[in-house]
Amino acid sequence: MTETTNDTLLVPRSPIRPYHFSRPYWDATREKRLVMQYCPQSGQYQHFPRPVSIATGRTALEWREVDGAGEIYSFSTTRRGFGPFQGFEPYLVVTVRLDVGVDVISNLVGCDADAVSIGMRVRPYWHPLDDGTHLLLFQPDEGPFGAVQS
Amino acid sequence: MALRDHVIAGYAETKIVQKSERDVYSLMGEIMDGLLARTGFEKRDIDGMILTPSLSAASTTFWAQSAAEFLGLELKFADTTDLGGCSAAASIVRAAAAIDAGLCSTVLLINADTPTVDYRFSNYSFHDEWADPYGLMGPPGAFGLLSRRYEHQFGLDYDMLAKLAVTQRDHAILNDNACEKLRRPITREDYHASRMIAEPIRLLDCVMPADGANGLIVTRRDIAKAQGLSRFIVPTGYGELTNLGGGTSLVDVTQSGHRVAGERAFAAAGLRPQDIGSFHPYDDFIIAIMIQLEMLGFCGHGEGCAYVRDTDFTYSGDLPLNTGGGQISAGQAGFAGGGTNLIEAVRQLFGEGGARQVRNTSSALVTGIGWIPYARNWGSSIALILEPDA
Repeated sequence: MTETTNDTLLVPRSPIRPYHFSRPYWDATREKRLVMQYCPQSGQYQHFPRPVSIATGRTALEWREVDGAGEIYSFSTTRRGFGPFQGFEPYLVVTVRLDVGVDVISNLVGCDADAVSIGMRVRPYWHPLDDGTHLLLFQPDEGPFGAVQS
Repeated sequence: MALRDHVIAGYAETKIVQKSERDVYSLMGEIMDGLLARTGFEKRDIDGMILTPSLSAASTTFWAQSAAEFLGLELKFADTTDLGGCSAAASIVRAAAAIDAGLCSTVLLINADTPTVDYRFSNYSFHDEWADPYGLMGPPGAFGLLSRRYEHQFGLDYDMLAKLAVTQRDHAILNDNACEKLRRPITREDYHASRMIAEPIRLLDCVMPADGANGLIVTRRDIAKAQGLSRFIVPTGYGELTNLGGGTSLVDVTQSGHRVAGERAFAAAGLRPQDIGSFHPYDDFIIAIMIQLEMLGFCGHGEGCAYVRDTDFTYSGDLPLNTGGGQISAGQAGFAGGGTNLIEAVRQLFGEGGARQVRNTSSALVTGIGWIPYARNWGSSIALILEPDA
């Protein structure tokens, strides 16, 4: 039985109140650009943003723009919604492993639960928030949302 | 002194209930009374105290001092072990360390929580920014992602998780302190038919919140003997690991810090997994039991389902598992729940298991799990080996 999964795009999400060190991330999302912290000493990207490099413990970090391409590392269809997600079940929570080497927890849009699989290629889908920033969601690299420019 | 020069002189536990109409201080008083009655120590003998955090009192930054005042204790050492579900068992070695450092000599460990009547928990971490906007439902959501990945890497026979759930439930039925609501039999079919929460996590994979308290007295061996106590329980091995792979961005979510924690605990105790008399793992989700079996060396990584299939985990079986029902079938008394399986291990080693008494009381292995990080396995892993004093 095919069951439609909620894209969560109508969930009333509040704007984010970032920590000091994650502001550059959220600022870039105003232009639908994805930036990640990069540690030049270790050559490692990291996500979520931290006050220091998790490799070296030092504050020497750069922000680098990345394309957000990656693959599904794991997924879970949520049947009991959390907070404002109540009433929007079922929806897909995914862990995306970006090609640059970080894991990102997000929602998958434009894909039903029976179509998602581990290893599936995905790319960003930018969902607008009320303050002009955007929330990073993901969509299948190919599929119904493939033609949508977000 | 070594860890094994310290002893658990006695234990106490309340019944686990929902909507208890009690409060944490009331439960703490009951536990302290029970511990003093059992051990013969006077209140003035207690010069140290370690608490677990409490969902009911989490906003109380003066938690230990407040508890000391309510209990009338004058203390040379007071602290709270801030390791989530690991806290109760981790407090034992912290008590031993404090005693070893000469800070105090006899330590009261109390774990009390009443989240179903008073819930004050709040996070100050990554959740507001990186988890809540995606509707990731706390621990069940994270364990859904973990389980699906495990299934992808190794295959996952859900009937083996059902077997573990049924075994623990059968044990809860024999435990008068388990929450009454959970003291009715379930079948494997009931497990498979229970509703999905965060696929593939089902209702019968999860703990049910409840209220309750438990506690222990940890002291020096010579003090316990001078007190006239002839039997006590000795911590002989311990390992702890927080934030496994914390310096790297990519981890395998199917591996926990219990590998390192277990190796350290077994080495200190001079035991191997096959020597363990009964196993009392932290159980917030059924699959966590299986992953811990792998990480602690009872079987290889990814071989948990085969091991579960071939092992009898009943109290009279090959490897008795959470003989009080575990948190999943006895009820999770908030952060005091980290003490539930610990207390059961101590009870078994004292030979006070009653209808569910295990045969092999030469040792017990207790574990802890604490904190759900971002896109990783759980945050803290501990392993504690206990042996009765000969």
